[in-house]
Amino acid sequence: MKALIIDDEDLARAVVREHLSAHPDVEVAAECANGFEALKAAAQHQPDLIFLDIQMPKLDGFEVLELLEAEGKRPAVVFVTAYDQHAMRAFEAHAVDYLLKPFSKERFDAALAKARALQTAAPATPTPAATELAAAARQGKPLERIVVKDGPKVTVVHLDRLDWVQAQDDYVLLRTEGKNLLKQQTLASLESQLDPSCFIRIHRSYILNLDRLVRVEQDTKEHRDAILRDGTRLPVSRAGFQRLRELWEGA
Amino acid sequence: MHPLLTSRARLGAYLLGWAPIAALLTGIARSQDWSWAEAAALALPLCFFAALLFLSTWFLCRALPLGRTLEGLGAHGAAWGMAAVLMGGLWSGLAWLLSRLLAWIPGLGALPQRVGTALPVLTGLGVLLYLASVALSYLMLAQERAIEAERKGAELQLLAQESELKALRAQLNPHFLFNSLNSLSALTAVDPARAREMCVLLSDFLRRSLGLGERRLVALREELDLAKAYLAIEQIRFGARLQLAWAVDPAAEPALLPTLLLQPLVENAIKHGIAALPEGGTLSLSAEVQEGHVIVKVENPMDADVPAPKGLGIGLRQVRQRLLGRFGNRARFEAGALDGIHRITLVFPLETEP
Repeated sequence: MKALIIDDEDLARAVVREHLSAHPDVEVAAECANGFEALKAAAQHQPDLIFLDIQMPKLDGFEVLELLEAEGKRPAVVFVTAYDQHAMRAFEAHAVDYLLKPFSKERFDAALAKARALQTAAPATPTPAATELAAAARQGKPLERIVVKDGPKVTVVHLDRLDWVQAQDDYVLLRTEGKNLLKQQTLASLESQLDPSCFIRIHRSYILNLDRLVRVEQDTKEHRDAILRDGTRLPVSRAGFQRLRELWEGA
Repeated sequence: MHPLLTSRARLGAYLLGWAPIAALLTGIARSQDWSWAEAAALALPLCFFAALLFLSTWFLCRALPLGRTLEGLGAHGAAWGMAAVLMGGLWSGLAWLLSRLLAWIPGLGALPQRVGTALPVLTGLGVLLYLASVALSYLMLAQERAIEAERKGAELQLLAQESELKALRAQLNPHFLFNSLNSLSALTAVDPARAREMCVLLSDFLRRSLGLGERRLVALREELDLAKAYLAIEQIRFGARLQLAWAVDPAAEPALLPTLLLQPLVENAIKHGIAALPEGGTLSLSAEVQEGHVIVKVENPMDADVPAPKGLGIGLRQVRQRLLGRFGNRARFEAGALDGIHRITLVFPLETEP
């Protein structure tokens, strides 16, 4: 069994390595100090199991998992974190185990055994998507950034740099700083994670960053356009206009 | 207790306030062809009794506080009217009784008859005076309430400050604590001597931060010692990723500042600076004295890909508020990023323990 240890702190990786040394059938294929290293190592070693810290520079643990999923890889995961225990409690509903730093040998062995069992068993319990886990851990707080895999490149889009989103079948097109990025996600699932006071579903196929909106023009009786700061026109549906109006009137 | 009876000065001022009314009354009587003696002999004692009698309005007004609705005003109005008529009657009755008594004095024999013809006017005056004293009482009550509210406000503010400090003390960052304990757990196997050192450092930090929370003001030296203890632990955790540049002018060390002001700045620099960068960086802390002011700077490199936050986070806002709360416009708080370096500057007057 091949494993990766992903944590930005040397000593934190050392603890996991030490505990793993008691399980000779688990081979530590690589240790990674950040998310990008982890993606590289995962491509190289195809691990069966990853020990994953959550708070890391550049890419956090959930984003690493999400990007692995996007490549069709889904190793067994044990989150290892000093993260808020209340946030982690949300994981108990999911088939994912976590270790709260610092942890005992017994606790570590139990997590390893659980991960092994999940790995060998038929996927009877569907593994939850990384975005779902991240949303659970955020405890209702809105998303702050989106990771997009664009060929070999990973782009992190901070939401105040996101202009609008368009639905394209199973994908969403993200418009940010003059570029278009494609991400495999439905518009509805993205919408549910965004801050509803900043991002408005103005149309069946569009979510708009309110900050970019200049005005809404009515062309014909049934057709309205949102005019953005850079002059872009996006269609506004009747329901979308209703949502905008509610926001204005509520303010 | 009636506010006018709480001090002699107040009571004196109130009674003096009746003097013009007595003069007015005398004037009216004179215009009705009363003699000086008749007018003054009635007006002076009558006003004195009225002054004492009308003190009672305050209790009535306190029992009938002014609401915001007009309906309440109607009900109150009826009560004031009734009380006013009663008091007006009582007053003119008093005048009548007084005139009977004064009639024994030679030269004032005509007084009962004069008062008899003036009774309606006297009653009317009594009613008006009573209503005026009602208005005065409400004014006093409002003022009293304002003072009370101010006192309560100040008390609450003090309480808020206390609880804020308590919260700060309890704000030992759990993420830091658990990560440190995890480092310790790793070191016990890898490097037991270092593990022991870490135990000592952690204890030192905890002891210092618990001790500091007890006080409102503290010397910069102690704040710096706490930061040092904290950073020594973080250095074990982050290893080569955390470098320190420390430049403290000893002249700045005795300067007094609000407790635990520096700690959130240093924690921020680690959290948003060093910990957010894969390769880490240098955290600089400097303190110097210039023209009677202490200048403290905390600098850290930051991830250029992360957009600068809009406004200050709650931690920094609290630091700013506490600094300005202590020193007012003699202090300055600046936070900003330039060329990938985030810098916080505190400037405050150099004040030391007497």
